[in-house]
Amino acid sequence: MKLRDHIELSIANLWKRKLRTVLTVFGVTIGIGALVAMVSFGKGMQKNVTGSFQSLDLFNSLTVFSEDFMAGDRFDPDERPDETAPSGASPVLIDDTVLEKIAALRGVDTVFPDVRIPAIVRFSGKQEFRLVQVVPARVMSSRMFRFSAGKGYGSDEEDALVISSYLLKQLGVGDPQPALGKRIVISSIGFDLSRFNPADLAAALSGERLPFVMEDTELTIVGVAENQAALGPIPVQSDILLPPGVAKRMKKLPFSNIWDLFRAREGRLGYSALNVRLSSPAFVEPVKKEVAGMGLRVFALADQFKEVQRGFLILNMVLAAVGMIAIVVASLGIVNTMVMSILERYSEIGIMKAVGASDQDIRRIFFFESSIIGLFGGVLGFALGWAVSGVINRIVNYFLAKQGVPFIQYFSFPAWLVLGAIAFSVAVSLAAGVYPAMRAARVDPVLALRHD
Amino acid sequence: MAIGPHRTPDPKQGGTLGNVPILISGLSKVYATAKVRVVALQDINLGFEEGVFAAVTGASGSGKSTLLNLLGGLDTPTSGTIEVGGRNISEMSREDLALYRRSQVGMIFQSFNLIPGFSALENVALPLIFSGTAKRERRKLAAEMLARVGLGARTSHRPSELSGGEQQRVAIARALINRPRVLLADEPTGNLDSRTSREIVTLLADLNRDQGLTVIMVTHEEALAREFAGRGVRLSDGTVQAEVKWR
Repeated sequence: MKLRDHIELSIANLWKRKLRTVLTVFGVTIGIGALVAMVSFGKGMQKNVTGSFQSLDLFNSLTVFSEDFMAGDRFDPDERPDETAPSGASPVLIDDTVLEKIAALRGVDTVFPDVRIPAIVRFSGKQEFRLVQVVPARVMSSRMFRFSAGKGYGSDEEDALVISSYLLKQLGVGDPQPALGKRIVISSIGFDLSRFNPADLAAALSGERLPFVMEDTELTIVGVAENQAALGPIPVQSDILLPPGVAKRMKKLPFSNIWDLFRAREGRLGYSALNVRLSSPAFVEPVKKEVAGMGLRVFALADQFKEVQRGFLILNMVLAAVGMIAIVVASLGIVNTMVMSILERYSEIGIMKAVGASDQDIRRIFFFESSIIGLFGGVLGFALGWAVSGVINRIVNYFLAKQGVPFIQYFSFPAWLVLGAIAFSVAVSLAAGVYPAMRAARVDPVLALRHD
Repeated sequence: MAIGPHRTPDPKQGGTLGNVPILISGLSKVYATAKVRVVALQDINLGFEEGVFAAVTGASGSGKSTLLNLLGGLDTPTSGTIEVGGRNISEMSREDLALYRRSQVGMIFQSFNLIPGFSALENVALPLIFSGTAKRERRKLAAEMLARVGLGARTSHRPSELSGGEQQRVAIARALINRPRVLLADEPTGNLDSRTSREIVTLLADLNRDQGLTVIMVTHEEALAREFAGRGVRLSDGTVQAEVKWR
């Protein structure tokens, strides 16, 4: 039999039983649609995360911690003790000397300390509590920042700040452009460290003997940053960024976590962490090694990203498995349709055999019919999955937009998904056609012709 | 009426058999289920020379149709051999049997066995699909064959729109489309009135006389058989009861 005859004969046969064919194709459509929507969602998430990692330059970033900052980890029973860490010796203090040593390493573009100040941000009659981050002016020009209005401050001494569009919205300003040039008040909290005794922690917790001092600093908004994703310890994740010169003049708590407190007691007041930006991701490994050699801990987002990728693989598989359930149901529909078709066409199969159709010819007729169901189901299923995910995407974005979240494409349809969905649909349909095709080929012509 | 069974032999069709005598020896067919054992044919020995018009008669259940199904390669014998043109069809693979049915024999039946959803033309062209003939060629050959059986004007009709006699003519055209040397007819007049029956058997006799087509016709109408066939075989309870030569 010629290929063309197979196709024509199959379509003619399917078209003879329009309603049943349409219903069976619809079953496959729903199955493939569900699978496509699931997989495209997983892929969309992965693409968004990968994309933001890349656009924020995170593959070029390292965070350097002092050993004691990570001390909490040592109590984790799952954590293998780090043999390379200098045991017993007092941990390396991260101060400006260390900063300069790291800055001098090959491939290091910028190093800036991770300094965050607790403060109350006041603007247009509203206020929000935030950890304000100190970021040098030279970092402002990096790819880490994207501004929806204005730009970063030009010098470390400027009376300026950068605010996120998210915080601005929380403060009741939806449109970033008019906010530029406005003055904003940062109320930092300071207190006299010499009068603080950790032994009096109980008293401190009850609010006694804590002489807090609030001090207002008025700064100009020079830039509104696009909302930063808050996934993991990325170098800049604060809603307010200040130049170091301004921060130095402010009264502030000299710590942002409990370890700083203990260091302060020992008179060893360094930075809690350093943010390191490299000129290329290729330098991640060598710099990590060098910094670890200084007795410091290094956290690379690139490493974290491998874990994230593995997580996405699992997520995609789970989503695909859910989609598969619909496919299995649809394929049972195909089996049912084809078996019904054999019963109805029993004498027709007998006639075909009597006039010279081989078992192979009969088998192929049925395989072609089920694969045509699969082809149409695959194409329509892809269209359905695409349409439904488009609608969901719009709905989700509509609600998130109200909360100041920018438009995100939650679903991704790579080319392989288009072709893969259709090919998979045809393959599943062929598999569903195996039993009916074998059964049709085994029809005994003598019995079939006596059928009526 | 001229129906040429063999103008140019097609080697793809399994080769043509120059002389196609049919030799049946020791042929038995037993249908056995778990409980019942039915002997349909028992030790049949028969020979049909090429170009004969033979009638196989007998009461119902005598094994006539079983014999024809075995000759047509639709069924396989329990024991014994059937040689057509020197080839033993009882030992053929399923694939070879399909090829044999497609090219060496044509069959017609009491209930015509046309595909209801197909037009007369499509029914006649059906066997050509399996031999891989192109569509345009199929339609041309089928139209010619329908014209030869007197149905040139009814090519687009469905079987349900044709009379019994017309349906049987379509079936004959289909049986001959691949130009076989042997036509097997299983009660071809069983569903027809007496006038139409005569027309159909006359057509078979013409094909036999004009084209040298071997025709083996199973029938219970002995009078009709005697009038048209050259020889007769009477079966009874699965065995040959009598062999007659009428002309």
